[in-house]
Amino acid sequence: MIEIIKHSIRFVFFLIAQAFIFNQLEIGLGIQLMVYPLYIFLLPLGMNVFLLMLISFGLGFCIDLFSNTYGLHASSALVIAYGRPYLLKLFEPRDGFDTGIELTIYSMGYTWFAYVFGAFLLAHTMWFFLIEQFKWSEFWYVVLKTVLGAPISLIICVLLQFLFFKKPVKR
Amino acid sequence: MRNLIAFFRRFRIFLFFAFLQGIALTTYFNYLAFPRSQYLTTASIVSGKMLEYHNDIVKHFQLAYNNRKLQYENTLLRKRLANSFIRVDQHSVLINDTLNDQQYEYIPAVVVNSTINKRNNYFTLNSGWRKGIKRGMGVFSPNGIVGIIHNVSEHYSVVKSVLTENINIDVMVESTGIPGLLKWDGMNAKIGSIASISNDLPVKKWAKVVTRGGSGIFPRGINVGKIKDFKMVEGKPLWDVSIYYSEDYRKIQHVYVVKNLLLNEQNKIENSIPRDIEEQEDNQ
Repeated sequence: MIEIIKHSIRFVFFLIAQAFIFNQLEIGLGIQLMVYPLYIFLLPLGMNVFLLMLISFGLGFCIDLFSNTYGLHASSALVIAYGRPYLLKLFEPRDGFDTGIELTIYSMGYTWFAYVFGAFLLAHTMWFFLIEQFKWSEFWYVVLKTVLGAPISLIICVLLQFLFFKKPVKR
Repeated sequence: MRNLIAFFRRFRIFLFFAFLQGIALTTYFNYLAFPRSQYLTTASIVSGKMLEYHNDIVKHFQLAYNNRKLQYENTLLRKRLANSFIRVDQHSVLINDTLNDQQYEYIPAVVVNSTINKRNNYFTLNSGWRKGIKRGMGVFSPNGIVGIIHNVSEHYSVVKSVLTENINIDVMVESTGIPGLLKWDGMNAKIGSIASISNDLPVKKWAKVVTRGGSGIFPRGINVGKIKDFKMVEGKPLWDVSIYYSEDYRKIQHVYVVKNLLLNEQNKIENSIPRDIEEQEDNQ
């Protein structure tokens, strides 16, 4: 129950952060900052895939409502929600994930988080710009935007965790 | 039959994924082509209201710049007021002016939401059909053109800005009157391009580009930008002209919506042109 409330509050927080803060920041070079992949990444581990996809779709669609993109964010959120179980299987630690663990930077370590969440973000940003541009002739421009944008989003997401997530007490 | 059910069971996750993905992509591409529903956009009342709150906070960030622009425009307009003229001829008689008919009216609006870094950028305005805004009207700011109204609700409207792929506003080079179509390549919000200028026509760098007013959306002579440079298009007898926009779309706030009072008349007379005889024969 507490988990449900926690993730609902987080849903609103990430929605507001993405729609009103990060979508309004314009850095130049076509870079767009994405923070809501972090929400999808932090959803509970053993979650039903259907529910996972529905929640991501809902979050993406809500962000679309505020940024005049009509389904673009929903589509790319869905892609990473679908890919998340495969990705986590690929990068599973040697003796599996601990039960009830949250995939934050504290519990998983800096290197693991950077690799896995980096791949996660890269897939998301790539899909987003591919659908937005939708032209093979502009493919290299898409790659440029992705390669420039994803690392910055990664840094922002790490900083967000340092700022707003409590460090778990070592037992 | 059993195989079919087994197939669905095996691929149920992917099928669910494909189903939702289908919904998302259909809404996206449908909207780009033709805006059917206004409930899924910032023209809807809920997100419109929230964006207005957001704008209430953010609008002060560019306040000095915008105030300066408005003040500048106000002084220009004040110069044309009746009380800033001196009567030269004491014996002249005031008559009702029947030589000039009003053609354009302007509806003021404020941009409450805008983006510049997407492939297709849309701006949200805080005025809707209650103030007489309709789909297809032109929008411009004190510095230059902004776009064309794409979707209208009761209190909000969405502008398809010049930072979209197929905006196709007809513009011309002011000094020579060479017409062309305005496009945007998606790279830089400061730079646009003009298509379909034949390369036997002389084009000069830094020449001013203004609207042509041909389709009745904009009045003639609204500022668009300056020509940055021009190249040959490979294999076609055309110039590839790129221009600097005169408006900085990152800072845009106060805009005017153009209402053309004579648009119906223009459309009526243009539709009365008989189609080509050859074209008619082709259709028969």
